Amino acid sequence: MKRKSTGSTRREFLGTAAAAVAAPYIVNSTALGLEDRPAASERIVMAGIGMGGRGRGDLGGFLGFKEIQVVAVCDVKTDTREGAKKQVDGRYGNEDCAEYVDFREVIDRDDIDTILCGTPDHWHALVSVMAMKKGKDVFCEKPLSLTIVEGRAMVDAAQRYGRVFSCGSQRVLGDYGKTARKVQAGELGQIHRCYATPGGPPRHCNLPGEPMDENIDWDLWLGPAPWAPYNAFRCGRSYGLGGKGFRTWYDYSGGMMTDWGGHKFGGVMFAMGLDETGPTEIVPPDGKDVKYLTYKFECGVELLVGGGGPKYEAAEGNVPGLTWEPPTKLLDRGYKGPANNLPGDFLHCVKTREKPFRDVTYAHRVATVCHLGNIAYELQRPLRWDPVAEEFPGDDEANRMTWRPMRGPWRL
Amino acid sequence: MSKRTNVMTGLLIVALLLGLSMQTASADEALDKSLEALNTYEWGQDRALLSALDAAVVASHDDAATQKALSAKLTAVLTSSAPQAAKDYACRQLSLIAAADSVPAIATLLGDEKLSHMARYALERISAPEAIAAIRGALPNVKGPLKVGVINSLGVRRDAESTAALVALLGDSDKGIASAAAAALGKIGSADAAKAIGAFQAKAPKELKLAAADAYLACAEQLLADGKKTDALLIYRSLIKSDQPKHVRLAATRGMLAATSKK
Repeated sequence: MKRKSTGSTRREFLGTAAAAVAAPYIVNSTALGLEDRPAASERIVMAGIGMGGRGRGDLGGFLGFKEIQVVAVCDVKTDTREGAKKQVDGRYGNEDCAEYVDFREVIDRDDIDTILCGTPDHWHALVSVMAMKKGKDVFCEKPLSLTIVEGRAMVDAAQRYGRVFSCGSQRVLGDYGKTARKVQAGELGQIHRCYATPGGPPRHCNLPGEPMDENIDWDLWLGPAPWAPYNAFRCGRSYGLGGKGFRTWYDYSGGMMTDWGGHKFGGVMFAMGLDETGPTEIVPPDGKDVKYLTYKFECGVELLVGGGGPKYEAAEGNVPGLTWEPPTKLLDRGYKGPANNLPGDFLHCVKTREKPFRDVTYAHRVATVCHLGNIAYELQRPLRWDPVAEEFPGDDEANRMTWRPMRGPWRL
Repeated sequence: MSKRTNVMTGLLIVALLLGLSMQTASADEALDKSLEALNTYEWGQDRALLSALDAAVVASHDDAATQKALSAKLTAVLTSSAPQAAKDYACRQLSLIAAADSVPAIATLLGDEKLSHMARYALERISAPEAIAAIRGALPNVKGPLKVGVINSLGVRRDAESTAALVALLGDSDKGIASAAAAALGKIGSADAAKAIGAFQAKAPKELKLAAADAYLACAEQLLADGKKTDALLIYRSLIKSDQPKHVRLAATRGMLAATSKK
């Protein structure tokens, strides 16, 4: 056990609140719900797992909410973990935030209601599913998953346990929302083609081994991924596909395709009302007739990976097979709760048990489109996809790429 | 068509055939070089050395003979003294194209501490029944984390033939193994698996209670999907009445509502 400080458990919070009645002079006014904060027993107790770049950013967002009490942070990198603890303790003016290396100890704590998952992509499914099986609600950074099967397991766990699960892209409403509303209202006409350019797929990593950095628990960083020697650029935070961060590498990420796909494909699928389905054909560029990776949906809409986007092109005249109609029912869908942002939406839904704006099913459908694109790029041939069965009909080779066997002891 | 045109057409065809043949020779040469490089491939070496192999695997789509030949070359690496990185690479490619004839060579790595996972990486994805039979066959011969990995693969493949062996592992003193066995049985989701998990979850030690309940819920979902509504309802009822945590009882209640509304 590598827990570094005990922190506060929920029972202790409750105990503190009860003791405050008898001994008000020794209890911090914040714990009583003064300073405009709900009493400790009324707060949503959160722990952060994976506290690197985006994790810390999300943590800061949640710390701004008075109804949240962050009691623990977890990261396999010592400096990252300590930085996160400092951030939390600084917010509350105490030293109570517990630190963990192993996330399993965090999700074992009964006093924690919600998990913020900001790990690299190859951990998202495991952390989230294991947390939901312990009864926690989850706010997970995008991209949702590393494979299609992982994403489905996340949906299944959320549905089995009735958990609130949000996998965010602030850009879907924030950056692309105005155009999306026009599409949904039918102001742009009958759309037959959309454009979105998320970025490229990941590469296979051939980095050499380096002397182990004592700052990191390497085996736990690798987790379900195939064993590989330590190299700072395997697990680095450098953004993009430049070879200096985990996002470049196939074993840990879907590359910029899944990272920006979460935003851009997410934006298109929400605008078009395609967020509960998937394409039926995926055609990679062939250097001749097909310029862009192209997704074809049953309703006749095409999504092309090109042209920046999200952009929408209306049909001129009759387009054979085009049955798409503006999804006007989505005009009412947005963030819930007064904060009008992603973390506020999640917290509101934790309290009300409603479905958050970017709930797990929508996130899974978006991530699936990203994964399908990466598979088509890798196989370099057109693919057929059944979005209901979530399989490539009659295509054993492509179906083998919908999941990756995990290193023991990890499983979903 | 004039005689001259005929000659020109003939020459063009010969040139095209020659070009194609040179292209094929060049591709074969590149593939041979890649295979040679693979035999000594280490992390840190240029990945481009293997690009002809990458391309050959992709190009072998729908060509069983080519896939068989390529698989044979890749499995030869597994049984050689090639470095771990080379065998890692070979397993990845085999996971995409290998069939039954590659299974014996891959299976030799299941007991190898460094390569067991990569062997499963390949075998778990090969749909031929020989692959899952090899994983099943390795179960009694591996220990600790390797055994957990093997059990997990049996679960992913929903291998009903492993049911009896997995049931026996529910009582293993290694809690990781017992927990993995419960999860695998949950995924198999047969009536036999349900019966075993039902008995197990009623007497499971405290640290395995949740794993047992989750497996039981998974079983119920599978039974429901298989049209065995009555069996699924029995599971949900028993979990609702159990001393499991609130979120498990809630899950059972949700399951029961879903089951009763299903025709």
